[in-house]
Amino acid sequence: MHISEGILSAPVLIGGAVIAAGGIGIGVKKLDYDRIPQVAVLSSAFFVASLVHVPIGPSSVHLILNGLLGLLLGWTAFPAIVIALFLQAVLFQFGGLTTLGVNTVTMALPAVFCYLVFRKGVMSNERWVSMVSSFLCGAGAVFVAGTLVALALMSTGKSFSAAAKVIVVAHIPVMAIEGIITTLCVRFLKKVKPEVLEVTHG
Amino acid sequence: MVRSLKENVDLLRYSHSSSLRTSGKGTEAGYFTRSRLMGIAGSIILFLLCFSVPAFAHRVYLYAWVEGNTVYTESYFSGGMKVKNGLIEVFDAAGKKLVEGRTNDKGEFSFRIPEKTDLRIVINASMGHRGEYTVKADELGGTSPPETEKEQALKATKTESRSPVQIDTDQIRKIVEEALDSRLKPIAQSIARLQEKKGPGLTEVVGGIGYIFGIMGLLFYFKGRKK
Repeated sequence: MHISEGILSAPVLIGGAVIAAGGIGIGVKKLDYDRIPQVAVLSSAFFVASLVHVPIGPSSVHLILNGLLGLLLGWTAFPAIVIALFLQAVLFQFGGLTTLGVNTVTMALPAVFCYLVFRKGVMSNERWVSMVSSFLCGAGAVFVAGTLVALALMSTGKSFSAAAKVIVVAHIPVMAIEGIITTLCVRFLKKVKPEVLEVTHG
Repeated sequence: MVRSLKENVDLLRYSHSSSLRTSGKGTEAGYFTRSRLMGIAGSIILFLLCFSVPAFAHRVYLYAWVEGNTVYTESYFSGGMKVKNGLIEVFDAAGKKLVEGRTNDKGEFSFRIPEKTDLRIVINASMGHRGEYTVKADELGGTSPPETEKEQALKATKTESRSPVQIDTDQIRKIVEEALDSRLKPIAQSIARLQEKKGPGLTEVVGGIGYIFGIMGLLFYFKGRKK
C-alpha cells in the first residue's frame, strides 16, 4: 500500500507531510520513557510485516499490522510507523522519501482512529464483544488505510470510487488475516496479563 | 521453532529486565507487563521473519532489453506476480512521451524504438505502484534495423565496386556485426535479468531492525539524560 515516488502532486505530498508531522509531534509527546522499547519492537514488527506477501486475491499485497500498532501504541503509532516507513523506503525502496509523509498518514491515521474507536470494545469484559472489536480494529485499520490511499490517488486524476474499490478488494485477505492476528494478540494479552492493554493506553 | 520463540521471549525478558535495573525505574508489575509485550512482539517479528525468507516484497520492477529495433519490457511485483494490464509510458531524455501501452497477462510489453535517445520506461501498476527503467541511447545505437544494414551493404557494393578489397572488409564487418548481434542478444537479456532485484535480502531486513533498536537506544539516552 506504499505510494511510490513520482505519482502524487506537490500539494498532496506537502499536505501529507504536514499532517504526519502533527501526528508524530503528538506521538512523541505521549511517548514516555517506559514505552520506548514497546514502540521500537512494534515498529520493527511493522517494518518486517510489509515483507510478508499475501498470495491470495487479485493483486500483490502484504501485511500492514497498523491496527495492531494502533491498539497497542495509540498515538505513538505515528513515530513507530514513520521510522519503519523511512527504513522501508531507504532499504527496500518501498514507497519513497518524498511520499514518506503521505504514506505515514495513510497508515498511522487509521491506526489511531481504530484505537480511539475500538479501545472500549476491546477492553470489554464480554469475551465476544472484545473479540469482535479486536477483529474489527485489525481489519478496519487496513480498510481505512486503503480508503486514504484512494483519496491520495484521487489527486492524480483517478476517480476515488474506482481506486478505492481496487485497493479495498485487493486487501480483503489482508484485512481478514490482520483481524485474526489482532484478535489472537488481544486474547493472549488478556489471558496472560490483562493490565498490559490498560497500561499501554495510559 | 516453538522452542526458539520461547528462548527469544526469555532473552528479551532478561535483556529488558537488566536494562530496567540499570535505569532503576522499573516496578515489579511494570516489568512483567512490558516484558510480556516485548516477548509477544518479538515472537511476531520472528514469525514474520520466518515467512519473509526468501523475502517477499512489495514493489514494482521493470526491466527492458533491446533486440534489433524493438525494446522488450517485462514488469512484475517482487513477490513474482506479473503486472497485468499495467500502464507503460516511454519518455525521451527531455521528458516527452513517445510511446504508451499496456502490459499483457505475462507482464510483457514491447515497442519499436521511436528515437535514438535515452528511453525512460515507466510502469504504473495499480494502487500507486510505479517502477521505471532507463535504456541508454548507446544501448540502442549498436542495433540498427537489419533491413537497412542490408540496403547499405547493397549500396556499398554498387557504388564502390571499383575497390573490391574495401567492399569485402565492409561486408565482413556487417556480417560479423550481425552475427555478434544475434549471439549477444541472449547475453544482453540475461544481464538485464541479472540486474533485476529480487527484493530485499536478509541483510536489509536485519539491518533495518538494527536501526530501529539503535534509535531506541538513542531515545533512551536522551530521555534518560533529561531526568
